[in-house]
Amino acid sequence: MTCVELQESLAEVEDGTTPEQRAHLRTCPACSALVNDLNLIITAAGGIQEADEPSPRVWNSIEIALKREGLIRPQRKAGSLAHLLFAGWTGRWLVPAAAMLLVAAGLLVHQRMQTTDVSERTAFTVPIPNPSDLNDNDLMQEVAVNAPTMRAAYEANLRQVNESIRDAQSMVDESPNDEDARRSLLDAYQQKSMLFELAMDRSLP
Amino acid sequence: MVKERATKLAAIGAIVASTLVAQSRAEYHFAVGPKAGISVSNPYGSISVKPSPDNRVVVNAVLHSDKVEVDRRQTGNRVDIQSHLLAGADATSGRVDYEVQVPPDASVTLHCSDGTLHAERLHGDVSLEGAGAAVDVRDISDAHVHVKTMNGTVTLSNIQNGHVEVDSLSGDVTLNGVTGPLVQVVSTSGRINYMGDFGNSGEYRLTSHSGDIDASIPEWTSADVSARSVRGEVHDDVPLQPKAHTWFPLDKGRAFAGTVGRVALSSTVVLRTFSGKIHLSKRSEKQ
Repeated sequence: MTCVELQESLAEVEDGTTPEQRAHLRTCPACSALVNDLNLIITAAGGIQEADEPSPRVWNSIEIALKREGLIRPQRKAGSLAHLLFAGWTGRWLVPAAAMLLVAAGLLVHQRMQTTDVSERTAFTVPIPNPSDLNDNDLMQEVAVNAPTMRAAYEANLRQVNESIRDAQSMVDESPNDEDARRSLLDAYQQKSMLFELAMDRSLP
Repeated sequence: MVKERATKLAAIGAIVASTLVAQSRAEYHFAVGPKAGISVSNPYGSISVKPSPDNRVVVNAVLHSDKVEVDRRQTGNRVDIQSHLLAGADATSGRVDYEVQVPPDASVTLHCSDGTLHAERLHGDVSLEGAGAAVDVRDISDAHVHVKTMNGTVTLSNIQNGHVEVDSLSGDVTLNGVTGPLVQVVSTSGRINYMGDFGNSGEYRLTSHSGDIDASIPEWTSADVSARSVRGEVHDDVPLQPKAHTWFPLDKGRAFAGTVGRVALSSTVVLRTFSGKIHLSKRSEKQ
């Protein structure tokens, strides 16, 4: 059995390994390391709790962003996966990507706060240096191109939502156990994510 | 003098005539089945959706110039309408105003960047989205109503048994007679105004970071209410039975929590703001 044959056969084996696979793994350190990594991933995945799942709104936002970029449009003509993924890889992609990143950042903050115990919460710090500045320039560039007449409105709203993120963050820092504070922070991130979505509104020219 | 006046009138007439010539109307018909999906995307202009008497979708479009055209596509039970801006189109020449009739059970998705979005008398899901769009939704029942705006005002009236989610950054949000299992408004700086009875056994969550929140309820309301403003003020004119236990501090003037009416029928009402004011008031009204 070759390395390629082994890798192709991995997905087809549900319970353990075949004698051919075992023989190859004994003599091939690369494939052996790969199988070890896969086993680690499977084990870690089994430990993921249902509570760790993002809310449906998050998936909805991601779906909307992907649809707008045409990546999951069902009527699209068949093509290779690589083509589908990279055909639209221009600067425009940065905005929905940033929106998804924002949601992910908000979730990360929220989940860390949920899973951190009380003693740790007092020393909790968000692992993102300055999330409120994340990709703001990309957003404004997008607006300048797509909706120049609304640039001032976007700037004002961006400023307000950044302030709300800072306020909510300071509230969390002051009272790490405050559920309202945590929810406010998550809401603020989702509002900023929505701003990115609106900037990419498909009805824009 | 007379000649000068005649010249001016002629010029005005020419401008009006050219506008009328450039403006055109179009009407499209689509036969659909039950629970059809209708999507209208329009960068500039208004979209108004009303129920049709039968299983047909009727689209009336007023195009304000020849620099915009209406793309339409029907795929099975789904109809997509899109204003297609041609080269040189701007907010004036690219404007299209739509009046759309859909079967009442249709799911409707409306997008515009700067205009008005209106939907009424439907019982299919309604989703409206637009950065500067002013949104007006009324007389909807047993459906999801989802709204996203940046600075457009949002007005929802007489939404019964709805699953309502409104996200607005700075636009004011008014809910009048809106009830359902879930009613949620999240705003950054917009003002939220709720007038209604909070239904039965629903969850109502009104949140604005810096905007004020006003809730006005009739005497027969049953609700389990908690209100909190971190840096602002809270006021209530409603006699509440105080709760024995809350998980947040009930700082006087900054928070209150209690029950009004019958506990068994209570909805959960959460009013939250960071720096805005919250006011819960009672209004006299016959049931």
